[in-house]
Amino acid sequence: MVVMSLYEFLGTIEIGLVFGIVALGAFLSFRVLGFPDLTVEGSFPLGAAVVATLIVGWGWDPWGATLAAAGAGFGAGIATAYLNVRFNILHILAGILLAISLYSINLRIMDGPNKPLLGARTIFSVFEGWKTPAYMLSPILILIVVVVIKIALDLFLSTGIGMGMRAAGANPAMAAANGIDVGRMKLLGIGLANALTAFAGALFAQIYGAADAYMGIGVIIVGLASVIVGMTILPSRTIWQATLACLIGALLYRFAVALALNAGFLGLKASDVQLVTALLVAVTLIVQSSGSGMGRLLRKIGSR
Amino acid sequence: MIVLSDIVVTFSKGTPLEATALRGIDLIVPAGQFLTVIGSNGAGKSTALNVIAGLIKPTSGRVVIDGLDVTAWPIHKRAQLISRVFQDPKMGTCEDMTILENFALARGRTKPRGFSFAIDGGIRNEAAERLEPLKLGLETRLDDKVGLLSGGQRQAISLLMATTGQTRVLLLDEHTAALDPKIRETVLEWTRSIVLEFKLTTVMVTHSMAQALQYGDRTLMFHRGRIVFDVSGEERRSMSVVDLLNLFKRDQGEDLSDDALLLD
Repeated sequence: MVVMSLYEFLGTIEIGLVFGIVALGAFLSFRVLGFPDLTVEGSFPLGAAVVATLIVGWGWDPWGATLAAAGAGFGAGIATAYLNVRFNILHILAGILLAISLYSINLRIMDGPNKPLLGARTIFSVFEGWKTPAYMLSPILILIVVVVIKIALDLFLSTGIGMGMRAAGANPAMAAANGIDVGRMKLLGIGLANALTAFAGALFAQIYGAADAYMGIGVIIVGLASVIVGMTILPSRTIWQATLACLIGALLYRFAVALALNAGFLGLKASDVQLVTALLVAVTLIVQSSGSGMGRLLRKIGSR
Repeated sequence: MIVLSDIVVTFSKGTPLEATALRGIDLIVPAGQFLTVIGSNGAGKSTALNVIAGLIKPTSGRVVIDGLDVTAWPIHKRAQLISRVFQDPKMGTCEDMTILENFALARGRTKPRGFSFAIDGGIRNEAAERLEPLKLGLETRLDDKVGLLSGGQRQAISLLMATTGQTRVLLLDEHTAALDPKIRETVLEWTRSIVLEFKLTTVMVTHSMAQALQYGDRTLMFHRGRIVFDVSGEERRSMSVVDLLNLFKRDQGEDLSDDALLLD
């Protein structure tokens, strides 16, 4: 039985890699800084809206537009962290406030609920006229981009500032006593996490062929699912391993969802994807924390 | 040198829960002095330490360290002048990071953090050199996570971290209280030798009267937000815990009821 065609398989890898970037952002906010950041629900479509508007409306170069999208995401993250750091608004609430404001802002940016990119020049347009079909080449391009981002993040987290950020998340009192401005680290870290998410949104819009105001729904849980699945399967001792686990988690998560939706006997439809995701996350967390035989067995397999 | 002038700290001011923790503290700790501070729970000794470290902003009064008025400085800025060892061994180190990474973090206290790698050969050698005299074998475990170590080992590392770089003032907040008695003495001896070696201005808050007299060269006692006595020199050298209790009884007209001060 053919579960998946090659086209579908490569598409799943491509989207999995894009959400790997979201997972790296979630890793930075949730794991490194201990800041449950919900801004990503708005910064993912923000990245898409910015890239589509700049390419279609302003005639920008697709790479420039993609980087500008990341910059917009950085700003959104800074705004959330500022509400939390400066005004002591609960981190989750600050993220929700930004996410709902971004919903309106994205509609303004696109001047409507969506913006098609069909026929527009995207970062994938370079493959036009090549012998190999674009659906085979674009996952390679995304893979290169994702590997570069992963290595850059690993390197950043081992610099003086990056290590200060890890301490600010792991032990704020100790960090402050060692001269680290914890508030500023949160601004920078949440800014970077949302820059990554918006960057992923910009890539997603170019793959999908449109930006849509609703495409952020569930992004937070996809990012988190990837981090949790990855970290459970590949317990990691170093930052280098942890970021790799996030990327692998994102890919596995994508395949799990694709297979669940493809398995006809389950009777699932494409619209069930959010439910499947939520179940997957819940089951992983339950297995992680339960002392049940199943949980122990899975942890044993995981720790090998 | 630490100078506290007329420090008043009132918590929840203007509410029914209003409580005054410090009632006008004036204190000068000259450079290089090792001060021990004692007092029962709620006496104000930890509040005073937190005022120096910047965790608590005084309601009124000024904090001056080495001639710099630091009253308005946030904790992380004061860290350039002050280093601190916490009571809880878990607080002083990051357990998910390696011994070496923790040392690298501490180095950033006085040396600006940038985009260069936090870990280099210099910090590796420095950490190994400083850990070696402790004879705990930690110098061979630099890449182990701190979470794997015992409380005493972590407190030893905190102490070394607090004295990396250009430290002027060392604050010790009951830093041996959470350790078992065996290692407690050892950590106190390390503290004594490190303070001497670096000629640090040191404030050690402790719960034990015996410890307060045994270490350092001046002892203060806090009671109900005030300094009730201040002994140093010859008077202090010949003092026993019983003398200290009698002094307290004479001055305050009451007995000390906190057993914790007498135990250990």
